Amino acid sequence: MSEKPDSYEVAVERLEEIIDRLDSGQAGLRETLDLCAEGRELVTYCAAELEAVGEGLKELKLDELAAKLDVSAEP
Amino acid sequence: MEQGKIELGEAIPQAGPDLPGPFPVGRYARRLQEEMRKRARVQLIGEVTGVGRSKVQAYFELRDSQGAVPCAIWLNDLEKAGLPEGALRDGAELVIAGGPDYYPGGGQASPSFSFRATHVRLAGEGDLLARLEALRKQMRAEGLFELQKQLARPLLPQAIGVVTAESGAARRDLLAGLRRRGWGGTVVWAFAPVQDRHAAPAIAAAIQGLAARPEVEAIVVTRGGGSLADLWAFCDETLCRTVAMLRVPVISAVGHERDSTLLDDVAAVACSTPTHAAEAAVPLDCDLARRDLERVASSLRRAAEGAIGARARHLAALARGPARALQRERGALNQKTREIRAASERGLGERNEFQRRIATVVLARARRRGIERTAAATAKERRRGSAIERAAAQALERRREALARAVVTLRAHDPERTLERGYALAETPAGKPVTSADAAVAAAAVRLRFADGRVNAKIEGDVEREAR
Repeated sequence: MSEKPDSYEVAVERLEEIIDRLDSGQAGLRETLDLCAEGRELVTYCAAELEAVGEGLKELKLDELAAKLDVSAEP
Repeated sequence: MEQGKIELGEAIPQAGPDLPGPFPVGRYARRLQEEMRKRARVQLIGEVTGVGRSKVQAYFELRDSQGAVPCAIWLNDLEKAGLPEGALRDGAELVIAGGPDYYPGGGQASPSFSFRATHVRLAGEGDLLARLEALRKQMRAEGLFELQKQLARPLLPQAIGVVTAESGAARRDLLAGLRRRGWGGTVVWAFAPVQDRHAAPAIAAAIQGLAARPEVEAIVVTRGGGSLADLWAFCDETLCRTVAMLRVPVISAVGHERDSTLLDDVAAVACSTPTHAAEAAVPLDCDLARRDLERVASSLRRAAEGAIGARARHLAALARGPARALQRERGALNQKTREIRAASERGLGERNEFQRRIATVVLARARRRGIERTAAATAKERRRGSAIERAAAQALERRREALARAVVTLRAHDPERTLERGYALAETPAGKPVTSADAAVAAAAVRLRFADGRVNAKIEGDVEREAR
């Protein structure tokens, strides 16, 4: 899968499929290598998603968020 | 419109020229009051808003999401009701008994309609539960409880919205729950009152404000426990209809475990505590997921390396295969050779023995046949020998006889025999016979051979020819 997954759960679901397929021992060499490459991309994506929520909880008020977005939206 | 029929002071004639009247309005107002007071007396339940007092009565509106009725109660009736101090306040849920009334006003006073309450009490759990059940039934029938539950909830949202009171244990508990999951995303707060008469609209506005932000992936609505009346804002029909129609999942965590609000029914998930709401808002235990991800990464690495390694080993084994197979075949061949040799030796011995036995038999037979043949041959030879011998003897006899005849013949021709009878043989000195007179004359000298010896003789004269 060269495209970015839609979400973490999509990535995890695909990763589980890949692991199941690899565990089945039925994948040939080419498929195994392709699955591993795809799996590594998914792991990288998931790790990035986890990293994004791994730097400490941030708090924001709704009106602050709205104000911030309004400022950034100005030309 | 017929201009000729319009008169100053008349009612609008076109509206109903055939209706009775016109009547004096004051008279009509009093008749209206009488009619109103004839209406059946009933009990109403609703939320109090706009409480006010005059010298003689208290007035307020009783409302719910469907509508409102202006109410009034004489202060002495209010006192008789024995409500707790401050119970008649905005946001209170009241049950009132009475009927419609109309105040016709007067020269200076304004007319007004109101529901004249003669009895009033705070709505009890039973009243609220009955109202709640009716609302629940209606909204369930409309399918509003299912809409939120069909929404996909993100496993790992980057930002969640939270509607709660700015100061309260629920806020603290929710944050603690989020941190326990190892989640460090963004919490967008939308604070709102959670108990008074302004609560429901404020909560609905806060939820809508959060839902309008694209980065907010889930919304938590939470507050601590309380009576059903305290939590009544979360049973507000307008609020719950708003939530039902949102496209962002709303997680309700209002009150304690035993409390059940209408918001719980319409929300995507109903949680018993703020801590549980944190787990519902971030379904993924991030710490656990990080460890799992490391394992998955290792597993993938092993799978890739294993797939290559196993095949490489297999290939290497295949590459060694021919040599090994050759060696194996060679071994097998050697073994077979040894076996063959052993078998051969064994077989040779056996064959030798067999051949020896055969030979013995054959030789015995041959010998026997030879003996027999020899005997036969001997007999035959013997028979043949006898014949030969006989033939030889006969031939010998014949030859002897022939010889005897030859001897006789030879003796008959032997010159010696002739000489013996008195004849002489003329020979040249060299010994050659002189067989004619001419030869004797030519020789001039001859030797005369007699039976008893030789004498030399000289030839004299010529040949004397004998007449014939």
